Amino acid sequence: MAPELVQQIRDKARELLTSGAVDCVIGYGRATDGVTARPLFVYEPEKVDELIFDETCTHNLVGYLVNRKGKKTGIVVKPCDSRAINVLLNEGQISRDDVSIIGVVCDGVVETGWNRVGEAQQARCQYCHQHTPVVYDFLIGEPREESPPSAEDYAAVAEMEAKSPEEREAFWAEQFDRCCRCYACRQVCPACYCTECFVDKLDPMWVGIRVAPEENRIWHTIRAYHLAGRCSGCNECERVCPVNIPLSLLNRKMARDVEDLFGFQAGLDDKEMQPLGAFEKDEKLGIGE
Amino acid sequence: MTQVISKSDLMVWLGRLTESHRLIAPVDEAGTTLFQRVSRVEDIALDFTNTVLSPKEWFFPPTETLFSVEKKDGGIELVPNEGVEENVIFGVRPCDALGIALLDKPFLNEPADALYGRHRDKTTLIGLSCREARPECFCTSMGTAPDDPANVDVLLTEVADGYIVDAVTDKGKAILPQDLLKESDVTAPPPPSMATVPVEGIEDAMSQSFDDPYWERLADRCLHCKLCAYVCPICYCFDVRDYNDKGTVQRVRSWESCQSSGFTTIAGGYDRRAGKGPHLRQRFGHKLLYFPREFGSPACTGCGRCVKVCPVNIDVREVIGDVQGLGGTSGQ
Repeated sequence: MAPELVQQIRDKARELLTSGAVDCVIGYGRATDGVTARPLFVYEPEKVDELIFDETCTHNLVGYLVNRKGKKTGIVVKPCDSRAINVLLNEGQISRDDVSIIGVVCDGVVETGWNRVGEAQQARCQYCHQHTPVVYDFLIGEPREESPPSAEDYAAVAEMEAKSPEEREAFWAEQFDRCCRCYACRQVCPACYCTECFVDKLDPMWVGIRVAPEENRIWHTIRAYHLAGRCSGCNECERVCPVNIPLSLLNRKMARDVEDLFGFQAGLDDKEMQPLGAFEKDEKLGIGE
Repeated sequence: MTQVISKSDLMVWLGRLTESHRLIAPVDEAGTTLFQRVSRVEDIALDFTNTVLSPKEWFFPPTETLFSVEKKDGGIELVPNEGVEENVIFGVRPCDALGIALLDKPFLNEPADALYGRHRDKTTLIGLSCREARPECFCTSMGTAPDDPANVDVLLTEVADGYIVDAVTDKGKAILPQDLLKESDVTAPPPPSMATVPVEGIEDAMSQSFDDPYWERLADRCLHCKLCAYVCPICYCFDVRDYNDKGTVQRVRSWESCQSSGFTTIAGGYDRRAGKGPHLRQRFGHKLLYFPREFGSPACTGCGRCVKVCPVNIDVREVIGDVQGLGGTSGQ
């Protein structure tokens, strides 16, 4: 990103902190590897120069807003992240008045890991058509005309759908078998804000604690359903998975089904209730017809 | 003179071990390297720096049945889990070997954990010296080194066309393939160097910083996932549940972490580590203060796995440096 745009982020953060509009700005700083980014919480105006923005700023910071409920907070968001803000607003988890949104026009982020900055754009950016945040108070960069969706966007999902049920089952069994139930996928997800996750429930114990194929499978399947119509596609869950489970295939399959069935995409605005959370009086359930 | 084994003979030896033992070795799978059981030596990843999960999972598995309770002759019978096999783990790095030695302290101090003890007794460790240090490595600050033979049964050190074989223990000597070893005057290359971390005096610094606002600020960014604990060669928290299956009950333990929301919640709901800051402080407190007080050394080997996997870059090396710099401002 051009240095003057990074400077705009810092200037806005300084202004918000100095004026008392917020008591913290959540943005990106440099990680200890010296090359990638990490979340940065800035409380003092004199520290805003630690804020950065570049193609390594992959984290979705929106989940942190739930931890700061009721506190005035500034936050730096990319377009994909901004959709998660709408999800949280729509579900009553945060108040619009508490949040000052510094939206950044985004050309995509690259594959990163510890001490590693890849050349290639992340796959999710290649099928993303949202270059301007959907909700913001201040915009960094020039708004962009959005490109139309392409038939190629869901190619990976279509490839999975083309397999037989047995092939799909074998594929996922192999993936879930690696899961060590660290729950990094859940903890990083802005839509996973339940104070008690079904998987942590002791009485009744919905899902056991065993790191075992059946229980791993239940965990991932139920989580995918819970995110149907709510996942904004930031793909943080897949990024943080230590054993490379391709969670985006599940989440995008859900997203596409919800789009096909209900014409709904998560987080495009904060008004329309996500389809599985709403009930229409004349809705057909497809039961007993 | 030292004993060496050629690269091709190493494969022959490992092949024999797949027949006499359960051989566990680093295997590449889906872009990660994990310690797995191998039946074909071609599957072994030799060109690895270190695995994603440490070998601790073969002593303290992610999930393990402790015992089962079965109905028998009108009563019940308690059946211990005896199903522990003879293992050889190949490719253990010196940092991970130190991790196992440190795990012994809580698990084998009386009252010893019998199941862990059985895994330990029945496992032989073939260590592999590191020829390179990763950017996150700091083992030399934690009491070991890339070529440390201290905690393995056999140490292999790569040289030009093979490995120097150093039999450290009797257990190690017992599995050596005498027919494949040759005498050589080859010398080991110097071990790779790495940055140091200021651990001197960290116990006092941790103690004095107990109430410092630093921990709340650090925890701002923490996701409270369990990744750091699960990749750690030493973290040993677990949870226990009973599983009832058609009249047979299994008591199972699985890995847990101090970052879980219910970690220190007791009956009645009181949580003496409630909140994000105290939760995260617990992790570093255990490693750098409570474990050393109890067992005499930090519960960290400098393997750097937690540094590498943390999704939000909570870096223990940085934390140690920060805490040393807090200067006891807690006012406790």
